[in-house]
Amino acid sequence: MLRNSFTKWLRDNRRSFIGWTVAIAAVGGMYAAFWPTIDNPQMRQALENYPEALLEAMNYTDIATPAGYLNATVYGLVVGLLIIVFSISAGTRILAGDEEAGTLDLILAHPVSRTRLALQRFAAFLVTVVLIGVALLVALMALTGPARLEGISIGDFAAMHLHLILFAGLFGSLAYAVGAATGRRGLAIGTGAGIAVFGFAANGILPQVEGLEWIKGYSPFNWLNGGAPLRNGVQTGNVLIMAGLIVVLVAVGTWAFNRRDVAV
Amino acid sequence: MPEIAIRTDALVKDYGRTRGLDGLDMEVKTGEVYGLLGPNGAGKTTTIRLLLDLIRPSSGSASVLGLDPRADGVELRRRIGYLAGEFVVDGRQTPLELLTYLGNLRGGVDPRRIDELAQRLDLDMTRKIKTLSRGNRQKVGVVQAFMHEPDLMILDEPTSGLDPFLQLEFSRMVRRAVSEGRTVFMSSHVMSEVQRTADRVGIVRLGRLTTVESVEQLRHRARRRVEVLFDEEVTADEFAAIPGVSEVSVEGSLLRCRLDGRADSLVKAAARRGVVNITAEEPDLEELFFDYYLGGER
Repeated sequence: MLRNSFTKWLRDNRRSFIGWTVAIAAVGGMYAAFWPTIDNPQMRQALENYPEALLEAMNYTDIATPAGYLNATVYGLVVGLLIIVFSISAGTRILAGDEEAGTLDLILAHPVSRTRLALQRFAAFLVTVVLIGVALLVALMALTGPARLEGISIGDFAAMHLHLILFAGLFGSLAYAVGAATGRRGLAIGTGAGIAVFGFAANGILPQVEGLEWIKGYSPFNWLNGGAPLRNGVQTGNVLIMAGLIVVLVAVGTWAFNRRDVAV
Repeated sequence: MPEIAIRTDALVKDYGRTRGLDGLDMEVKTGEVYGLLGPNGAGKTTTIRLLLDLIRPSSGSASVLGLDPRADGVELRRRIGYLAGEFVVDGRQTPLELLTYLGNLRGGVDPRRIDELAQRLDLDMTRKIKTLSRGNRQKVGVVQAFMHEPDLMILDEPTSGLDPFLQLEFSRMVRRAVSEGRTVFMSSHVMSEVQRTADRVGIVRLGRLTTVESVEQLRHRARRRVEVLFDEEVTADEFAAIPGVSEVSVEGSLLRCRLDGRADSLVKAAARRGVVNITAEEPDLEELFFDYYLGGER
């Protein structure tokens, strides 16, 4: 584990990475396990009496099916938000966090290029995100029987988790890029959090405003579960948007990091 | 190996409105210990960070071991050992883990070499770094700077956290490295630290190199405050006329004075009486700089 900056980063962050993996899989599994309590005539009746606009704002229009329920509560809400918090904090730590702690100097005084160091650490972050995605997938697959999550194929589950992994990678690369370009931890976290809040609003509340329907297309949450991957499989357009943004953000952040002074 | 290990040419570094370096011209020869001496904020750390390509100059250029810190950074840093004044690392690892990793970044360092250095400095390799004292943490820094036997060592205020015994051991390690043909570039704001180890001293002030002298010459210039406690009362007149001694004052059996350059005459004069104690203050750098600036006018 001490061989290079990729494995060292996994090792240095092992407690955090394992903790988040377990937490997200556990919380996601817990919410999924609530499905049978929603799936009853009274609940369906209650939902039918809600105003349509409210259901749309909450993304609850499809909540009476297992796929719709998971979309609205697990991916679109609790797991989505948790994985954003993890990704922003992990992406920030790659350079800005290390720099503000004063520990980046020593490594950069060694024969490693800045690009190499930054990309190895980012790769370690991506591996962790994939791990979280797989752990949650395993937890949900184990629950399909007991929690009566019928009608979702393994392929669609896998597609949904591809979206989730890219969604996490997107927020991680955003925080990484801001931190890499500025060296400022607070700014990286703030930018990530700001985009997350905007994305959440733009996927639910804002499109309810007359003339603002188009804004949904710019929300990362829409890229996550718009088009319902749980039901319709991989949404190529959204996958390409997220993957493309990750590549651009990492490239621009690393380029800027190479050009600037490293703070003491 | 080129004859000049480090050369800077009109190196300027601006930090927004303040200027860190203001046209630094410096030459460090291969195989010498060069001490960069100056008060805090004079530009010592800025110079070092420029040489390591941690920051980039606003104008001017630097060449280290014949290489450009920016273009050939990786190749250059392979041959450099760097010790920061404040050695900060993630404390949740042991020195052994950290040093193994850092060695691997250099393509692997012989574990026996690491072990030997750790033993010489009496460093516990198996305790988490966060539980180590400041001095012991600094030892980890010393080991990582020396372990790969670099051609050039860049040391920023290297002995600030070390106790006197370790400062001595450190000086020995530096002398030994130089005897093997390596070059040592160190910064300090304490004259004694530089005097103990350096061959030549460059004095930096307000981002410029004002003087370069041998340690011997510098010692001559140094002025320090001396106090001598005798076992009987003395008078100021006995000491006022001694060469290099000025500002003499006496309180009973305690003599206070200022001494410029060699201490010989003062010590011999004092030895005619019974001496209980002698203390000599560290030469004041600001006074020394003042001297260089206004040398002719005083």
